[in-house]
Amino acid sequence: MVKIAKLFGYTLFFILALMYFTPKVALYYFAEMQLKPMSVIINDEKVIDNGFSLSIKDSTITFKAIESAKIQTIDLVFFGLYNKVKIEGVTLASTAASLVPTKVQSIELSYHIFNPFNVSAIAVGDFGEAQAQVSILDKALQVDLQPSKLMNKEYRATLKNLKKTKDGGYEYAKNF
Amino acid sequence: MQKISNSSLLKITSVLLILLVVAKVLSLVVLYLLPSDGVELNVEESYQPKYQRVDFKNMLRSSVKVTPEKKEVIKSGVSITNMILKGLYGTQESGFIIVALKSKPKNTSIIELGENYEGYKLVAIEKQSAIFEKGSTKYTLNLDTAKMAAKKYKKSTRSKAKNNVEVSQKIVSKSDIEHYAKNPKQIWKEISIMEVKEGKKIKGFKVTRIAPNSKMATLGLRKNDLIIKANNVVLKSYRDALNIYSKIKDIDLVQIVVIRNGIEKEIVYEIN
Repeated sequence: MVKIAKLFGYTLFFILALMYFTPKVALYYFAEMQLKPMSVIINDEKVIDNGFSLSIKDSTITFKAIESAKIQTIDLVFFGLYNKVKIEGVTLASTAASLVPTKVQSIELSYHIFNPFNVSAIAVGDFGEAQAQVSILDKALQVDLQPSKLMNKEYRATLKNLKKTKDGGYEYAKNF
Repeated sequence: MQKISNSSLLKITSVLLILLVVAKVLSLVVLYLLPSDGVELNVEESYQPKYQRVDFKNMLRSSVKVTPEKKEVIKSGVSITNMILKGLYGTQESGFIIVALKSKPKNTSIIELGENYEGYKLVAIEKQSAIFEKGSTKYTLNLDTAKMAAKKYKKSTRSKAKNNVEVSQKIVSKSDIEHYAKNPKQIWKEISIMEVKEGKKIKGFKVTRIAPNSKMATLGLRKNDLIIKANNVVLKSYRDALNIYSKIKDIDLVQIVVIRNGIEKEIVYEIN
């Protein structure tokens, strides 16, 4: 029993040490390179290694060389068993203003071992509140939106593209 | 007394240290394999001079009139404030400007860098102005084409250029531009535009819908027009199109080239 406890302790220590020493900034650069073929580039950002997490501050996201959004903070926490990406202070480009309100307060993506085949996300902004699920096995995305008054009033054209649900919300589904 | 080497604490510490070293070595291997720099957007910065239209006939007529005799008359003492800078081309090292006196605005003269006009020596050409020198004092003459052009084209006019590109000129009010800049949603309520590709490259932007009786409908664009150029920039990407859109508040002349029924048509908007 003691041996099992010791083994567990050593494993945990090794994982934590590995997490601490992992070159997170270099991993972030690697992730940026994976986004480049999709024409997504993160610019002007400050990348800070916090030991067990990574913070990206004041970034500008460009898609197809067009400035698409400014993000105040992105916090990435990867514990293996529980992983979280928290994005705060998103301002979409004015060119998107015709489709959705441009201010998004927060987006939180999480993945944990107890639900290994799904990634969930919650977003709150001037558009209202949205919950999303990505099924890795089915390669499917499901978004449930509870629109704000502003969204209902000013962005009816966008909402028309979504399917209305019984509870007054909207849903969007896509396979990829 | 128990030996230190036999203590379980030392064994645990040793194992932990070994694990620490292994973790560090692994992280260094990963670091070696990963890129050391991120990806940054590399935009080719190219200076695009302000788009200007120059009455070429005037230039030719006036160039004949620039004679040494005239330069002598100059010495009678014309103030820089009596001059109008109608056009400029070039850099600080070379180029020319088109200038006239306010009393005779149609009598334009082409002055090369280093030449004299009305007793003032042209010493530099900036983006929006020309620098003259008289004695040891330098004078700046700012570009002032808008007022001249506005007088010329009070109504929408149409003409056919030599190369068979139909040209039409329209006046757009600055307040309308500001209104659309503040309410971009309004633009897309009145007009729909989508990219047209040739292979993988964008060929232009097609007008797929234009609301009748809207302000957009008065701008001369029609459904199925393919916009290929704006201010002499070939629209090959969304970025090219958005560059013009983002600067619209500061521009006083917009030229677009569209393909309509297989024929190129140039539409010039005077913003005042």
